[in-house]
Amino acid sequence: MEREVKTFVIPNELCKRAGITATWLTVDQLSVRAFEKRNIKLPDAPSNFLSDTPSSIFHLRQEVILFHPILRKLVNESCGVFIAVQNLIVNKNPADYKVELFKMSRQYRSIIRACLENLQDDLSEAKGQEKEQLQNYITIFYSVECIWHLCEILFVDIIPGNLVLSQLLEWIRFHFPKHERNAATMLASESVNLETHQDYWNTVFGSLLQGRVKIVRALLRPHSSADHPTFKLVDQVLRAMPICSGVNGTSINEFNIQWRHWTMDVQSKIDAKLFSSEKHLDLIMRLVVGEEKAWIEIQDHCEAWYEFLAGWMFYTEPTAKSFELGQYAKRSITKMRVANNLKHLDRVILAAMEFDIFQVIKEIQHMTENGWFVAHLSDLLFHSSRLTSLEKEVPNFSAEKLRESFILEYGITLMGHKSLWPVGLSYLDHCTHDGNQVIALLLPRIPLDNEAKTLKIIREAKKRDLNDVVQCICKAQGMLSLKRGRIGNALCWALKSQDGPFTSYLADKFLQDYIKNGKLGSTDLLDNLGSCMLVSDRLIFLGKYFEFHKLYQTQKYKEAANLLISLLASKIIPKYFWYVLLIDAIPLLESEELLFSSNDTFTIMHCAEQKEDLPELKDKLNILKLSAARNLARALTYEAQNE
Amino acid sequence: MVASNLGTLKPLSPLTSTIVGLNRMMMVPVYLVIEDWFESIVKHLVPSWLYEVVGLMGANMFLDTDNFVSSSSSGSVYLMRTCQPYNDQIHLKTTTEWKNIHKFDNGEESPCTTLAVYEKNDIITVGEDGCINLLNSQSQRILRKIDNADSCSIHCVIFLKHNEILTSNLRGQMKIWDLRSQNDQPTNNFMLSGDQVTPTCLTYHPTQRHLLITGDDLGALTTWDLRHNTYPINVLNAHEGAISEIQFHPDQPDHLFSCSSAGEIWHWSTKAKTGSSLMPESDPNVWLAHDNVKNKLEVFTLMPTLGKSINTLDLSRNKVICGCDNEAIYLINGVTLC
Amino acid sequence: MFEAQEVNAEHKDLIHDVAYDFYGRRMATCSSDQFVKVWDQNSEGKWILSSSWKAHSGSVWKVTWAHPEFGQVLATCSFDRTAAIWEEIGNIGPNDRGVRHWVRRANLVDSRTSVTDARFCPRWLGLQLATCSAEGIVRIYEAPDIMNLSQWTLQHEVQCRLPLSCLSWNPTMSKMHPPMLAVGSDDQVAANGGKVFIYEYSENSRRWVKLETIGTITDAVHDIAFSPNLGREYHILAVASKDVRIINLVPVENEETLQTGVTKLDVQTVAQFDDHSSLVWRVCWNLTGTVLSSSGDDGLVRLFKMNYINSWKPVAVLKGDTPQTKDSEQRTTSSSSNNGNVISPLSQTARYIKLGTISQPRDVPWH
Repeated sequence: MEREVKTFVIPNELCKRAGITATWLTVDQLSVRAFEKRNIKLPDAPSNFLSDTPSSIFHLRQEVILFHPILRKLVNESCGVFIAVQNLIVNKNPADYKVELFKMSRQYRSIIRACLENLQDDLSEAKGQEKEQLQNYITIFYSVECIWHLCEILFVDIIPGNLVLSQLLEWIRFHFPKHERNAATMLASESVNLETHQDYWNTVFGSLLQGRVKIVRALLRPHSSADHPTFKLVDQVLRAMPICSGVNGTSINEFNIQWRHWTMDVQSKIDAKLFSSEKHLDLIMRLVVGEEKAWIEIQDHCEAWYEFLAGWMFYTEPTAKSFELGQYAKRSITKMRVANNLKHLDRVILAAMEFDIFQVIKEIQHMTENGWFVAHLSDLLFHSSRLTSLEKEVPNFSAEKLRESFILEYGITLMGHKSLWPVGLSYLDHCTHDGNQVIALLLPRIPLDNEAKTLKIIREAKKRDLNDVVQCICKAQGMLSLKRGRIGNALCWALKSQDGPFTSYLADKFLQDYIKNGKLGSTDLLDNLGSCMLVSDRLIFLGKYFEFHKLYQTQKYKEAANLLISLLASKIIPKYFWYVLLIDAIPLLESEELLFSSNDTFTIMHCAEQKEDLPELKDKLNILKLSAARNLARALTYEAQNE
Repeated sequence: MVASNLGTLKPLSPLTSTIVGLNRMMMVPVYLVIEDWFESIVKHLVPSWLYEVVGLMGANMFLDTDNFVSSSSSGSVYLMRTCQPYNDQIHLKTTTEWKNIHKFDNGEESPCTTLAVYEKNDIITVGEDGCINLLNSQSQRILRKIDNADSCSIHCVIFLKHNEILTSNLRGQMKIWDLRSQNDQPTNNFMLSGDQVTPTCLTYHPTQRHLLITGDDLGALTTWDLRHNTYPINVLNAHEGAISEIQFHPDQPDHLFSCSSAGEIWHWSTKAKTGSSLMPESDPNVWLAHDNVKNKLEVFTLMPTLGKSINTLDLSRNKVICGCDNEAIYLINGVTLC
Repeated sequence: MFEAQEVNAEHKDLIHDVAYDFYGRRMATCSSDQFVKVWDQNSEGKWILSSSWKAHSGSVWKVTWAHPEFGQVLATCSFDRTAAIWEEIGNIGPNDRGVRHWVRRANLVDSRTSVTDARFCPRWLGLQLATCSAEGIVRIYEAPDIMNLSQWTLQHEVQCRLPLSCLSWNPTMSKMHPPMLAVGSDDQVAANGGKVFIYEYSENSRRWVKLETIGTITDAVHDIAFSPNLGREYHILAVASKDVRIINLVPVENEETLQTGVTKLDVQTVAQFDDHSSLVWRVCWNLTGTVLSSSGDDGLVRLFKMNYINSWKPVAVLKGDTPQTKDSEQRTTSSSSNNGNVISPLSQTARYIKLGTISQPRDVPWH
């Protein structure tokens, strides 16, 4: 959809002279710097911009108002409703959930309302820039609330007989609460000459325009001349005003007849100048019969054209259908002469009244609340089957893709926040097309600040069967531990992801450290490897070698010797470690107690022969051979004696 | 920390659907830190019973009604005091700071994963650097430091006795330490399970301190009798997702509460005893039963699941409070405890 | 709306390249001053210089990070005809705790001319580095043991015959696709034909085969970039040439491709923007491939966005301009506090300024 192309200014002289280039760094951050447009074939030389002023890098980020503490609450709570909507769709058939969707829509609105109240509360204490900021948020979300309410009436609610007026009035009353509030204060004051109140007639006309006839009558009663016959007559006329009760054809016809009779009656009274003594009352009467001139006079009382529209329709077209709303809206705009002066909110409202949903969605993308509104509303409209019908009207349009693009973008925005990312995941989860790929792309990029967070990210990845992501995160965390000198912990992460090569690499590191400083590290870990050592041969070897050490240290030489032999016979000894094992055999061969059988000794001798070229073994080889020969003699003698 | 005053706290206003607010009995209301430099460490600062609302902060424990200890992912530990509220604002003051007492060998800051307190003064902190620190609220000094107590990150710690603590690490290895002993070796160690399961929380029975329950990454509750700790007494596969916290009711130990990363919060209670009450059971604590524990317990869900992780819980009398990943705190009133 | 944080990069000349690590928390910069610098973002969001060293004996053109699962690894390439692999080493020990520095693990000296680009392959292909040079050769190096960064073997040399300026690996996250590379040439002679080449690694012949020369682009190419793939069946390539091009590469399956096992591509130009009205020097995708940024001879950065029906539209422009006095004053104060000895907690916190906007005269208001 089209957007205005805005130009943002980087306040930097060098950037101006040299020109700029950009690189993305995170979901919502862009880095900008001055750069040289250099042809690679030119000789290497300092640029023309070499100077004492060092170059700067600018990190730009999108201003996300949703990350404000108050709005975060809106983000979190609306996520709950969003999930409820998605569950609703999965579990029920479309016929059943219409009513439910309407309820959900109201829940969204009550969240907006709560948010506005919170903003208002904070506004009263705020100062300076903060106040300005809060005021700005309030303006944005008032518009959001107003549009949402209208869209709910027109596109989500099921209006009996399409008689839209009463809902329309309700909408107007909700968003222009001033008159109701004033009327309530005035009536509560129990004053006898209410007309002295400066807002008196304003309130009377305001209430009249909102179709609150009873309040108008109540307000007229405390007027000091309420006993005057004109006042009595007006009260009588208003009391007699017919009310549309049913929605079926007959009751509407009946109402129309009653209405016509009533207006004719009122008109004849006007013509008879029965009200002319009181100009306000005369205006009221001329308004209720829909006199054009009267409605022009009243325009100044209306803050917006749609306030006018609702009143005008109430007295002239009380049984208008929803689909006629657009034409009346346009007429109101013409009457109010505001056609050239429509603001953004006006345009959205007009588009909604004209049932141009496509236009509504187009417009609400510009509301600078970072896509919260458009994502949630278009989702709701999509599930109310309001978007699918557009596919016939708008070329190249796909309702599903449109919905998903908004939800995806909103989810991605949240993924960029350090504590809202789980909320972002909930949205991406409901993007059937690209959601999982985006999760796989963004989840591993969440910084691993601490292990609790790492474990949390891994849980989310596992929940979505993103095994590749799990492995990638474990490895990255393992590398981090390694860098911090926590090799035991690194091994633990390698084991968690069952990452064979990484495990082997770490086991090698343990063995090499042993060669270097004669000590095996992380013994508490090596002592408890259990079955997980099976991930890698190298780790098995390390575990076994550690066991050998333990046996040796606890003077269980016989067991140590047996283990050594089985290690020598196995095929898992790392090349660089052969000589260590062979040298380890020497004291055992030399032990007073006979530890190796002749067969064992042959194994050792065989290994020694094979590995005799090892440089590390050079000075020990003779001792080894000698010990082995001596031990062989002892073993053979012993075996011969015991046969 | 340069400033001693951590800034102004504002009350978290009630959520539309739930009650959050002042609860005198809990001593301190729920607050949301929304400003100043401290924000990066403590996003939602909540007292003792709440922990890790957003995952940035470590643990908080109350020493007494006014003082609590807080750990941070930068490896520092703070002793804080809540100052008397005036208007509706409450101030926190750092009275002691142990800066960077958890640190990796390459000089990087190590997160202090959690801490435990004993009575009013003794504090134990553990970290990803595998180090254990013993602190005292009356002293700026580190009383005892066991460097490299574990090759892996330590994730849980509790006091068993005044001089004895139990730690568990990333891979489920549990170690018991005698703080009086000068050698830096555990007196005992055993495994949670053989499969690299990370324990996420630990608690002991309020009256029988040798009865220990651990919750783990896979949602299982494991019961141990520390008198014979080689293997667990029983393992209950309970929650979906990782168990975030478990707690016995301090006054009514027949009741246990647990919450999980899948957004569940459960109340476990012992079924009314059947059979003759004249026959005293050999061990009346059902958690110590070797088999059929499940049949002896009833589990109630305290709240419909929100689909977001519940990170912490605490309780007092018949109220349960929990902190959730949706940045909200829920108070559940009137939990039946009989 | 955008807000910006300024980092004084401390290079003595313009910065040729900036690269961010996988998490966007570390930054590497390189410049004509032959230095490479590494910056870390602290927990308050401020960028702190952590290392700076003279890496080459000529201009350093490009710098790039390996995936963190290979550790903290950088590659650089330079006018001095070499590419280098760097690893960060932290000293562990009681005395020099916290001292970290970068060591050169490998010096790749096969090129006889300036090495113009160097890029690590996608993570799941292991640790490979592709370089390209002015002499027209793409080289693929590999560390056979990913844990030993000092051993790199030159696995492949691909002759392109035109001076090469840039390359890009296809990041498609699927084991179904063979590895793919796109290479661009800044040869000025249109008669020499297409300037973008697509190569694919053929498992059968164990070499890189040219799949396609994009014939529609005969002007010099200065930068190319594959878009991150969100499970699409085709690949998207952005090309910086005399204009910004967005090209779809759609694999076609027919009997021939099944037989040879070599992918055939259908090349479709889906967008062409001459908004810069001049040469385009750089293109860069955002993480999800929904926004493309381009830099041109007009000195501006332009952002293009894809909408829900995959059509591209310009969305924003960035422009360098003389700072207003107020801003420059603020900057001097903040930089002087950096040089001071006492670092107050305030100066550790990132300071963001709101960016001003101007409306372009040629923009017709949409409404």
